[in-house]
Parts: sequence; structure tokens; C-alpha cells
Amino acid sequence: MNTITLNAIIQVIHYLFFTYAFLAISSYIILSIISAFETIDYFKKNNFVDYTKILSSNIAPSISIIAPAYNERLNIVENVRSLLSNHYANYDVIIVNDGSKDNSLELLIKAYDLVKVKYLINPQLKTKPLRKGVFKSTNPAFEKLIVIDKENGGKADALNMGLNISNSKYVACIDVDCLLLEDALQKMVKPFLEVTNKKVVATGGVIRIVNNSIIKDGKLMEVNLPNKLIEKAQILEYLRSFLLGRMAWSRLNGLLVISGAFGMFHKKIAIQIGGYDTSTVGEDMEIIVRMRRQLEEQNMNYKVAYIPDPLCWTEAPDNYKTFISQRNRWTRGTIEVLRKHRKIAFNSNYRNLGLLSYPYWLIFERFAPVIEVIGIIYFGILIILREVKWDYALAFFILAYMFTVLLSLGAIYSEELTYHQYKKKGSGFKLVLISLIEPFVLHPFILYAAVKGNLDYFFNKKKRWGEMTRKGMGNITK
Amino acid sequence: MNETKNIVLAEDNTTLSQLLKFRLQKEGYTAFIAQDGKQAIELIEKHNPNLILTDIMMPFISGLEVISHVKNKLKLETPIIVFSAAGQEEMVLKAFNLGATDFMAKPFSPNELIIRIKRILI
Amino acid sequence: METFKILQNYFQQLPIELQLVWILSSFLACIVITLSIYLKFLRNLLRKKEVLKIKLQHKYEGLLLSYLFEESNDNELSEHQNEFIKIIQSKINDDFKRKIIVETLLKLKNEVSGEIERAIQNLYLKSNLKEYAYQQIKSKKRYIVANGIKELAQFKVKEAYPEVKKLLKHPKKEVRKEVELYLVSLFHFEGLEFLNNLKVNLSEWDQIELLEELKHFENQEIPDITPWLKSKNETVVLFSLKLAKIYNKYEIVDTLIQLLNHTNQKIRLQVIDVITHLQVLDAKEILKNSFKVRSLEEQIATLKMFENIYEPNDEDFIIENSTNNNFEIQYSALKMLKNISEKSFNNLLKKNNNFDNNILKFIQNN
Repeated sequence: MNTITLNAIIQVIHYLFFTYAFLAISSYIILSIISAFETIDYFKKNNFVDYTKILSSNIAPSISIIAPAYNERLNIVENVRSLLSNHYANYDVIIVNDGSKDNSLELLIKAYDLVKVKYLINPQLKTKPLRKGVFKSTNPAFEKLIVIDKENGGKADALNMGLNISNSKYVACIDVDCLLLEDALQKMVKPFLEVTNKKVVATGGVIRIVNNSIIKDGKLMEVNLPNKLIEKAQILEYLRSFLLGRMAWSRLNGLLVISGAFGMFHKKIAIQIGGYDTSTVGEDMEIIVRMRRQLEEQNMNYKVAYIPDPLCWTEAPDNYKTFISQRNRWTRGTIEVLRKHRKIAFNSNYRNLGLLSYPYWLIFERFAPVIEVIGIIYFGILIILREVKWDYALAFFILAYMFTVLLSLGAIYSEELTYHQYKKKGSGFKLVLISLIEPFVLHPFILYAAVKGNLDYFFNKKKRWGEMTRKGMGNITK
Repeated sequence: MNETKNIVLAEDNTTLSQLLKFRLQKEGYTAFIAQDGKQAIELIEKHNPNLILTDIMMPFISGLEVISHVKNKLKLETPIIVFSAAGQEEMVLKAFNLGATDFMAKPFSPNELIIRIKRILI
Repeated sequence: METFKILQNYFQQLPIELQLVWILSSFLACIVITLSIYLKFLRNLLRKKEVLKIKLQHKYEGLLLSYLFEESNDNELSEHQNEFIKIIQSKINDDFKRKIIVETLLKLKNEVSGEIERAIQNLYLKSNLKEYAYQQIKSKKRYIVANGIKELAQFKVKEAYPEVKKLLKHPKKEVRKEVELYLVSLFHFEGLEFLNNLKVNLSEWDQIELLEELKHFENQEIPDITPWLKSKNETVVLFSLKLAKIYNKYEIVDTLIQLLNHTNQKIRLQVIDVITHLQVLDAKEILKNSFKVRSLEEQIATLKMFENIYEPNDEDFIIENSTNNNFEIQYSALKMLKNISEKSFNNLLKKNNNFDNNILKFIQNN
């Protein structure tokens, strides 16, 4: 190989990397602009909405909260209580105890005067069988509560059981360890009721990080920034993803994920498409992709809506080990879902879904870490070959860095101008500081976890299957 | 009637509870205000009131649970008036099953509430 | 100085594209620095506003309470009361404070009726807050117009009717919706007249708001809803079906039965629901005869309806459906059959074993 061909190849590779980076950055810019418009619209529209009528109305549609629980004995009694006091008249709470090995069920029975009831379950979705059965309270004050004790089958299986049990029109699927604010249901149900030219089939909510904030009696008393770097960096990451990314995708009606920790579905449609898939670790993404896919095939005029209000608060991992295993699982989930539905890719029959949402996820979410790693390896080779043009490397590196920081600042501004949750003095400075160092402190770990996820997915099948039944509870593990 | 009668009022709308507190004091009652069910239970246990007024929809511990706690756990015979939103017949029925004495549908007239209170506390 | 020179020399010898990259980076860096500094001011501003808001809320709440407390003593306005009115008047053009005042009034007004409610409305009128709402409804921005109408409706300002009514055909749905709510909250069922010519969709959310507003009135005499049930606007039909159910309109049964053949399945389903609620026995034969051509959802709803009003002569129909493949239909049918006649139920079991085991076990044990 002579030097001319080598140089030509290097040139081509450079252009490929450059194009990818350029497209990625442009897409972020476009999404941020769209999200700004959507946010302004949302606020103008909801500025003077009167929720008082809906929350106490008994003609408002029925909602079931479905919360799978696996070994949650530490907080389950308190968490159920907070779920029972949501400000909405027509709803019930279905706790699915998914084969817990601890005494969660006994604690619930004692706290809420539960007794076993006869309950005929319509097995529309196949699930693992009941273990001890269905329980309801003898106390009218807890009439909204249904507890189901079943054999362990993983989160998706537990949610399917909840779908079978529910008699409501809509279901809110949540993680039992989340803190739902009291106006969560009334806000989430609104898109289903207000859109008349499309059928709203699901609504996604925002997940906020509760680490170090103060909760008293099921109420969020004080929102604080956590102490650890890894937690603060995740806050910034969530702000970017929820306030910039998803807001924009919602405007484009192209959302592919609704967080497993908080989403609401039209129950009949969720059942009609077959409920949650028990064979993937990315069941929260899978159900939306499959729902959209089937509705596109039926030519239905539908929408997946999104509510940016901070309604659901959860604990994020506070150590690198849990964080990496969480992200590893997310990566595998994404790969599984995209592979399972690869038919959609670049297929114009699926309109926006096939031509926009899916390709975006595939190229900029699924492949981003892979391409980044290839880039790093390639850069390493160039160093060894002494082929690095340091002028170029430095200039583009700085540019990319400045851009990342700017994007984070955009997310911070979006938060300050809308919900302004981190009120304490000094929090603003800390958030800016984090956005400066986040690319160096959190990003490497995300990359590492993603690479590990890829390797595990392709070379470690045993891990995939072992995890499914044993754990699989909660997208965000404590 | 030598001593003043105590009333515990559980209501999360602070303006309304302030207004009612003024009215109750004007009528010669002592009113203790709770902003949620948990505070209400604490106040009830502490003051053992002659009457309890409670909203049904409250954060964390609902009005129904307050009634249930008073009647079943504390085994008190204290009369209870519940406030509920209009059209919440089912809730009201549950409240009565649990042992509530009377109910007022919101929005209600404070004067009417006072009349009913007087009738109960005669 | 030295370093600057070096940098300048370095920059100048770079190819043009890299110079551009550096210029862009510096530009972004400037934005980052500006935004970071401005963030501090923004956050301070927001914090101050929030503190002020809480302070004002307390202040206005106190003023309002003493206003109300004194009015119940005396018809003449006292010094305190005039003072509050003066305060409100002086703040009327301050958006931030005016908003807090209105919120404070509403917070209490929404929860009370009778003399206190009237007193608050009075205060709203006397203090000229209504003038501002009038200004708002003349705005060009739809959300401001909508907000103005909402406020006039909440404080029941009847004099605004001619102005508000003009906006009933406003091109923006946010505005139309508030006009509709205004009409209903002031003129109750008469306000529903707008349904006669409604061409656009009435969302489920709007319907619920209207129905909840109607619930507050003591006069529950509802006008004839038949024309709306026959409306070409399907959302109007759905809305009037809800009215029929809530207000037990037995006199519209004939129209209901006609609606069983409506082209929209959602309407047919809701008709069955209303029929179930009103227990219209006349509809039974019609539903039995058309059962097979109806959609599954209607069939399920039909069986649910029969659960409340079945008679022994429905036995054939019930037996026929006890082998239906749908879980819910089979369950309803078997349950009714067992109640009508234990004998027929047992006979059926002997003849046929195509039943869902879970359903059978559940029914036999109950």
C-alpha cells in the first residue's frame, strides 16, 4: 500500500466521521429549537387551565395506577399511601406483588386491612399465575386499593397482570418506588381528553431525580441538588433529555419511549397490541414502538403525547456500579427493541416512524457509542502512526466541547424559565459547573456501560436471560 | 356550657380554613387547623375535640382515612362533618358508612355550615 | 502579551477552515460565558419574585379575610374595606400583583357559595378588576382573550355578555371554549344554546368542564335535548347523551332507540350505556335482534345491560351467548343463566363442555 492510497483512505474516514458529527450536532440544534417552541406553546396553553373540575368529576374517565413491586418492603406501605391520595376522583391503585421473597404482602395486609377476595381475571394477556391471590381492603377508606400476589415473572409480566385486572379506561404504569405528585393523574389524562382530531394512545411523563430532596408524608417539601458528582451529572442529563429531547419529539409526534417509571396508556389499545413484551429488558420502549408500528399498519390517526411537568420523582443510582449496570441494561433494551422492529427502518409505509424516529434512534442513540469507540480506536492508531494533525484535532475537539456545554446550558435555561425546581442559592452555579465537567466525569462511564451493553448483548446470552426473571424491576434501581 | 368547645378543621385550602377559623371563633368555638390528614389526626389525638370538620380530598391521608382512624382506631364518638366536591355521592356514601355525621358539598355557604355545627354541638 | 503574540501567529498560519472553527468556538464560548453570568441574575430575579409572591399572597389573603369579615357585620363599607379596594385599584395595571389578587379571590370563591361568594364578586366589580378583563378580551392574542373571558365567567360578570358573545365564533378553539363556559356558568342550561349551531368538535375535556359547571346549579330543569341528540356534530350527540344519563331523561327513549343505528360506533356504545342506566326495557328486543351484526364492543355492552334487566324470557338469548368465545360475554351469560334457573344452567353444562374453566369455577363457587 503506498502513501497516496493510505492518505486517500484516511481522508474518506475523516469525512465520514465529520459528516456524522455534523449531522448529530445539527439534529440537536434542530430538536432544541423545536422544543423551545413546543415549551412556549405548552405554557401559554396550560397557564390558565382549570383542573379543579376534572379532579373531582365522576364523569372524568377512570384510571388505574399499576405498580409492580418486587421486594419493596422498606417503603411499600408509605408509597402505597401516597399513591392512594392522588387528586383525582375516578381511579384505583393496583399493586402487583411480583413473587417478592420478602414480607411486602404481609405488611400491606396489615397496614390496609386487606382480605383475600374472589376475583375473576379476564386472561386477555398471558401472565404467570397468581400466588396467594387478589386482595382488597375491608376499610372503605382504602377502597381504591387492589393488591395482587403472583408468581415472579418480571416487570413486564406484572404490568400485564395489572392490565388484565384493571377495569379502567386508562392505565398509569409506574414504578412503585416513585413519588407521584398529587396532581399527576389529572395532568397526564388531559391529552387523552383534549385532542379531537387524533386518537391519543399514550402519554409520557417526565422523570425527575429526587436524591437528597426532602420528602415528608408523601409530599415533596424541598428540592435539592444532590451532593455526589454522579447524581448531579445525571440531573443535567435528565434535564437535557426530557426538556429538550422529548419535548421536541412530542411536537413531531415521534416519541419512541415513554419512561417505564411513569406513563399512561389507553388500556384497550395496550391490550389489543398484546401488552408488554416479557422477553426484553427494554419493555417500556418496546411497547411504544410496537404500538406505533401496529397503529401505522392499521392506518390509524394517533398520537403519543408528552407532559413536561415534573410529576414523578425517583431515586437515581448514586454509585458508578449501579449506574453502569442500569445503563448497560438500557443499551441492551434499545438494541433488542430496534432489532425486533427493524422492519420499520427507512420504510416509508411507516411514515414519520419509519423515516424519522426510528432512523434517529438507530443512528444517533443506538450507534453513537459504537461510532465513538471506533473513533477513539482510530485516533489511537493515528497517534501510533504519527498521522495525527493536532491542529485539526484540537480545534474540532474544542468546538464539540463548547457545543455540548451550550446544549446543557440550554437545558438549564429551559428548566429555570419553566419549572425552576432547584431554588436554593448556589444551585445555578453548581449546575453550570457540572455542565462544564460532565463530558469528562459522566460521559466516559455512559460510554463504557454502552459498550459493555453491546458486548453483553452479542456475546453473553446467559446474562440476558438470567436477569429477566430474577430482577427486571424498575428502570431505575436504587 | 361553661367551657368552649373545640373543633378540629382539616382543609388544605388555607384561605378557606382561615375564613372558617374566624367564623368559628366568632361563634365562641376554639378551632384548630390542620392542612392535611396527618396533622388532623395529630390534632384530634391531642385535643380530643367536640367536632371534626374534614375535607375528603387531602394529601397523603385522605378525609376518609381520618374518619376511619377516629371511629375505628381511636374509638371516638366525635361527630364529623365532611366536605366534598359537588357530585361526589359515592365518596359521601363511603364517608357515612365509616361514621360521618353530616356532609357539605363544595362550594358551600359558611353560614350554613355554622348553623349545622350549632345544631350538632347544642 | 507574549502568549497572545504566539497565539496570534499560530492562528494566522492555520488553514482557513480551522480559523473558522476557532472563530465559531470562541463565539460559542462567549455565549456560554454570557449565559452563565446571566443565569445568576435570572435565578436571583426568580427567587425574589417567588418570595414576593408568597408575601403578597399572605397580605392579600389577610386583607380579603378582614374585608369579608367586616362586610358580614354591616352594609356600609368600612375603612378597612375601602382600603383594600384602593389597594386593588392601584395595582390593577401591575400584571404580577393583579394576578395574585385575582388568584387570592378565586382560591376562596371556588370553595364557597352564598353570601361570601356574593361578597367576593362584589369586591371584584367594585374594585374595577373587571375593566382589566374587558381590556384582555379585546387583545389580539388568543390566550389573553381566553384568559379574560375565563375571569369574567368565574366572577359571573353578566354585563360582559354582549362583548363575550361576539367571540363565540372566534377562529381559535381556546377562545371559543371559554365563551362556551362563560355562557353556561352564567345562563346555565340556556347557555347551552350554542350547541345548536356548533360546527367544531367539543372535546371530552370541554364536555366534562361544561357538565361540572352545570352541576352547581340548583335549578336542574333541563331543556329538551332531542335536537342535540340528532345533531350532525357527533361530539354534540355524545355530549347530550351524557346529559341524558346524568339528568335521567326518560322522555328521550325513542330518540335513543333510533340512535342505536347511528353510523358512529362510539355513539352507539354510549347509547347502550345510557339505555342501561335508564333501564329501557323496550330496547331489549331491538338489541337482541341486531345482536349478531353489532361490533364486539357493543355485544359486550349489551350483555352488561342485560345483567341489570334480564327476565326469564331472555333465557334463549342468554343460552345462545353462553358459548360465545368472548370471555366477558360468556361470563355475563353464564352468570345470568345461573340466576334465572339453576336447572337450565346445569343442563347446559351437561350438554356442552366448551366453557372457560375459570369462568365456570368462579360462577359455581359464587
